Amino acid sequence: MSYTAEAFQNEYLATGASEVNAIVTITSTGSEGGRRTAGATEIIIVDASGSMQAEGRIGAARQAAKAAVECIDDGVHFAIIAGVSTAQQLFPDPGQLAVASPQTRADAARAIERLQANGGTAMGAWLLMAAQLFAQRPGDIKHAILLTDGDNGERAGYLETVLDQIKEQFVCDCRGVGANWKVAELRKIADRMLGTVDIVAKPTELTASFQQMITAAMGKTSADVQLKVITPVTSKVRFVKQVEPQVADLTGKRVEDGRAGRYPLGSWGQESRDYHLCFDVTPGNVGDNMMAGRVQILEGDTVLATVLVKATWTEDTALSTKINRQVAHYTGQAELAEVIQEGLTAHKAGDDRTATIKFGRAAQLARASGNTATEELLSKVVEIEDAVTGTVRLKRRVAAEDEMALDTRSTKTVRVGRGQ
Amino acid sequence: MTLTTDCTSCADERTAGASFCEVCGRRLTETAEPPSAREDCSHCGAAGAVDDDGYCEECGMQAGRSRDHLEADGGATGAAVSDRGRRHHRNEDAMWLAVGSDAADVVVSDGVSASFDPDAASDIAVRAAGELLAAARHPDEQPAPGNPDETVDLDRPQGAVGLAGAVAHAIAGAAAAVASLAHTGDPRRAAANPACTIVAAAVRGPHVGYGWVGDSRVYWLGPDGPAEQLTEDDSWAAHVIALGADPVTAMNDPKAHAITAWLGADAGPVAPRVRSFTATEPGHLILCSDGLWNYLPDAAEFGAVVREALAAAAGPLDAARALVAYANAAGGADNITVALVPVHPVAETEPKTRELSTTSED
Repeated sequence: MSYTAEAFQNEYLATGASEVNAIVTITSTGSEGGRRTAGATEIIIVDASGSMQAEGRIGAARQAAKAAVECIDDGVHFAIIAGVSTAQQLFPDPGQLAVASPQTRADAARAIERLQANGGTAMGAWLLMAAQLFAQRPGDIKHAILLTDGDNGERAGYLETVLDQIKEQFVCDCRGVGANWKVAELRKIADRMLGTVDIVAKPTELTASFQQMITAAMGKTSADVQLKVITPVTSKVRFVKQVEPQVADLTGKRVEDGRAGRYPLGSWGQESRDYHLCFDVTPGNVGDNMMAGRVQILEGDTVLATVLVKATWTEDTALSTKINRQVAHYTGQAELAEVIQEGLTAHKAGDDRTATIKFGRAAQLARASGNTATEELLSKVVEIEDAVTGTVRLKRRVAAEDEMALDTRSTKTVRVGRGQ
Repeated sequence: MTLTTDCTSCADERTAGASFCEVCGRRLTETAEPPSAREDCSHCGAAGAVDDDGYCEECGMQAGRSRDHLEADGGATGAAVSDRGRRHHRNEDAMWLAVGSDAADVVVSDGVSASFDPDAASDIAVRAAGELLAAARHPDEQPAPGNPDETVDLDRPQGAVGLAGAVAHAIAGAAAAVASLAHTGDPRRAAANPACTIVAAAVRGPHVGYGWVGDSRVYWLGPDGPAEQLTEDDSWAAHVIALGADPVTAMNDPKAHAITAWLGADAGPVAPRVRSFTATEPGHLILCSDGLWNYLPDAAEFGAVVREALAAAAGPLDAARALVAYANAAGGADNITVALVPVHPVAETEPKTRELSTTSED
């Protein structure tokens, strides 16, 4: 695929300043004709624990899984795992991957009909089985869907051990149905597996959610895309965050590559994402022009696009005090996601005063940046009296689903100027 | 025993047997390939660390920024120094000095900061004008006899006047070169076309031709007395002063330095003002950008500082350096370019050959 990388920054720093910020927008054209440059494997993991019998969830999950299978392109390898106290492969035969065709999709649909809800929840075991199946297809674009409705029942620490072992080996999008699952738990999985987490409040919405995820996964044409940041000895990466389409901190995912570092970006199709890079540099003399970092997009070891983040020191305050619009915007979007998390934590701890302040700030940031989606989610948890000043009141009664929706979706950002 | 091999690329010592250097990843063979065509860093000296984009991977600095401080040494015939100053992040001034026996061509240009790529404008302006000035003929020179291509031009202006024409021709060439930049290179040039000032002088024996567009200046400093500003700035301040405004008030106006003529695609027809004179007493021709004269608006003061610099200096280069240092010590708010050319009246000079060989210092 071909990529373009563009840096938005104010490279001018005041004398003695040492922080360099830039928003790097990476756009990929997708491969020619939308064809994948590698094979693809899709695994659907459906929670079949006993609780799934409630509210017709298992029936809806069957429908959703069948709809998802229908969306899998011919030739793509796939499997379906039934999640109980252990992992059971529902389709095809244990240890096998099917190749999508009208025949195998029909066979899969019949297998899904047999899915019964009667067992426990063992996410570590489910993910481990998925990883073993994916291991048969090195080089493939690997995507999994994990659907659950409850807490993980495995012994404490087991899921973390599994995640350490399989991290970034495939992309896993996690969905929780109902309101009895833990956002933090699915977020942990999604974060380590470079996927997304979201709530599906009503079982009837599952089909649309699954179709959307599979369609997006089928649109990916390259696996294992990486961001490489080369820094001179006078520069250190403070953080690398994806800031669009949603906030995700990649700083801790750094893999050293000499003095450079690599950050996994997962699989890509025709799309565009924004990253906020922050560097600490040794201040130079007035007039010095240095690169804080050379940012590259890689597929494997092939460099596909390069862009520089620069620093130039000046005594001209008219230059150095300008804040780049993109940097300011995404700094605000990251703060928005952060204050919502802080507000939710305070609210859960019964600290209504802090929660009110945090949600107030969130309302203000959401309004100022035109993030109407987040403002709407927020308005289900607090009464927004004046978004401009950030005056909010906590609602006396908040549906658990609404609070979870705010929790999972508040990392979604908007681009500069969008929705304003 | 263990044999160690130094990596030829990064000089790291690695145990023999390994095929690749663990530090830089290059193949460890006796005939190691040269570390690509990447250049060594001019700041930290790291070998082959400068990538195609001009930045060093080791120290991060932009390599090859030679324009930050430039010097041209024409020995006793003249010198020019251009410096970034202390406040600007790059040098948008440019200069040209070519010297021959008792002859000098000198050009100073100051890029207009509000335009895009002003450094490219000043650079191409001095080159274009400098190359054209080389054709300026010594007014006293007669066409070589017996050259079939030479005809005696009876209408040829006498004395220094012809030099003014050569300067006008050179500035016109520079104007065309700068205007052509708007549609090359970066597309942003079309929106804010590269622009610059220019001041040029051709010195042939005692004869001086000079001309200018914008607010870069020529001064004449005789054996005594204050310096004489030979140019009149194409600036808002000069314009309103000419119309009768109070000079002090006009110079303190925020618009004072706005120039009313420049070289660039949006400049319209450029009409450089050109003049000439023949020195009757020894003196110095000083060409400079506003990076120097801003600190010495008074001609008497300007003259005193230049005189002091000349007295303390071993030659024109030393004096030019001292004037640049003066501007930097005063704040260095703008790029500073100074060119100094001593001019001798006829009586002072020995008879000499008229063979002019101009050499570029660039």
